[in-house]
Amino acid sequence: MQPCSREMQGINSLLNPTQISLQDLHDQQQQQQSQIQSSQIHHQVQNSHFDPTSHDDFLEQMFSTIPPPSCSWSDLNPAKTPAAWDLKPRDLSDDTAPLNPDNNNNVAFQFDDSANLASKLRNHQISGSAKSAAAAAAMMLQQQLLMSRGVAGAGDSGLIPMPLSLGSADDNVDGSSSFKSPNLRAHDDSVQALFNGFAGSMHGPGQTPNQTQHFHHSQGGPVQGQNYGSPAAAMNQAPASGSAGSAPAQPRQRVRARRGQATDPHSIAERLRRERIAERMKALQELVPNANKTDKASMLDEIIDYVKFLQLQVKVLSMSRLGGAAAVAPLVADMSPEGGGDCVQAGGGNGGAQRNQTASSNDTLMVTEHQVAKLMEEDMGSAMQYLQGKGLCLMPISLATAISTATCHSRNPTNRPVLQPNGGEGPSSPSMSVLTVQSATLGNGTVDASVKDSTSVSKT
Amino acid sequence: MNPKRFSSSTRPSTTVKSRFACGFLRALWRINRQRRTSTSASSREICRRYLRVKVAADVSMASAVGSRRAWSRAILLRKLRNQGQNGTVRVRRMSNIPRMRKRNICGNKCTEEVAGTCQAEQLRKLVPGGEEMDMCNLLGETAHYIECLTTQVNVMRRIAEILST
Repeated sequence: MQPCSREMQGINSLLNPTQISLQDLHDQQQQQQSQIQSSQIHHQVQNSHFDPTSHDDFLEQMFSTIPPPSCSWSDLNPAKTPAAWDLKPRDLSDDTAPLNPDNNNNVAFQFDDSANLASKLRNHQISGSAKSAAAAAAMMLQQQLLMSRGVAGAGDSGLIPMPLSLGSADDNVDGSSSFKSPNLRAHDDSVQALFNGFAGSMHGPGQTPNQTQHFHHSQGGPVQGQNYGSPAAAMNQAPASGSAGSAPAQPRQRVRARRGQATDPHSIAERLRRERIAERMKALQELVPNANKTDKASMLDEIIDYVKFLQLQVKVLSMSRLGGAAAVAPLVADMSPEGGGDCVQAGGGNGGAQRNQTASSNDTLMVTEHQVAKLMEEDMGSAMQYLQGKGLCLMPISLATAISTATCHSRNPTNRPVLQPNGGEGPSSPSMSVLTVQSATLGNGTVDASVKDSTSVSKT
Repeated sequence: MNPKRFSSSTRPSTTVKSRFACGFLRALWRINRQRRTSTSASSREICRRYLRVKVAADVSMASAVGSRRAWSRAILLRKLRNQGQNGTVRVRRMSNIPRMRKRNICGNKCTEEVAGTCQAEQLRKLVPGGEEMDMCNLLGETAHYIECLTTQVNVMRRIAEILST
């Protein structure tokens, strides 16, 4: 039969050469079988009015829901007698020829509709019989078929009328079941052909060879998945994995061409995740000062340090609430090394914005200095607490020097020597020095941006 | 006494800042009342008071933010748990199961091992309630937390200025 040969060709074109070998093996058998079975089916179609009518009703529903494609679906009148069943495959086969020249989308669209039909039929059948495994396989087949259609515009005219039925695949449990399918019900094919295209890749789920019986129940034993789009991703994997070695080149190429960007849901999800994280990092960059780092790791380091610094500030400020010069020696002693280290950081920029005290604060600073010096003589802890209550911090001279030179390098000669006498004021801890650069510079009468910078640096 | 204190009947602006200022000042007032009654000068008392002030600051901040954020919820939960234990400060880890998940989450994303601990782990330790969050949410929480911390610091500094003069 010509349809059968066309179907076989279609199958051949779609499957990879390895399967073709199988195909060759089974060709002859199946062709014979197909002829026999198709004749059987024809008989059945003609003999059983009732079943087709029931299916006709079913088909009516589907036809009503499906938007009329350019194909000849509308031509098929489900209200007709069983002759309609006979007509269907022929119509389709006739239509496929003119259809092929159409753009691939059209073809795919039609197939979608037919697939829709098929899905409904499958559902119906599922209720009738339980063949979920076959259904799943058929679904994948169909999707594969759809995708291949859509991508390659496979002009496999023979596929549509091909009486493929996954149910029949059970006859050949091996991948060659697809070849057996052509032999089956011609009427089914139009619908079933869609998802029976690559039964070779799908293992024919065990089904009775009596597919003819199933004809009543289903226009395609296996159930049909509703959405073809999303499973497209699964399809990509399914043919790749399920059909180990079956058409690795062809289907995958088509899938890639069709899909475009993402390959599978995992990569999509990962990409989304990465994008979200990048967004958050950008938002954090604006919050954290000194966020000119481009490296994600160093940015994270900055963020961590900044959070630590802010928490430290809260601690220090809550300590200063206690008021008075009562020495919280152990606490302050613990805090001061941290405070000394961290206070110098960007937080200075924050405080400095608020406390941009100019020459007016000169006196207070001098007073503070003296006070601190006095406190230091009695108890280091109290001095520390006093300082922190004022929002100042102690730091090593070297660090202070580095900061002052960094901020006001333009007027180095005036600033640097100032630090030395200040350093001598702390007898108990010569290594520490109250950063009073601002007081010295203010004392010199140079009030400018650099002074403010140093002020901001000293204030926490 | 405090220009920032609003009467509860009139709330002209309910920004996080103002709410925090209100709550914190009230807590401070309560603590100071306690302090006046007891004439303790021992460092232990001072230590405890400091802790109380710090906790008050955190809790008032968290309640100002509300329970919209995971970190504020974590702080409030911690406070409730500690209250149930009669004031002994104990931070109990919820369970060890999230740790595994955290490690799994962290393992893939850790671009750098900082001193043996992953950066994400460090961040989780810093941000309250961050132990069981994935990286994406953690970063969002961190951003909000930093915002609120800066507000907190500014308000507290201003209060300190006013109180100390």
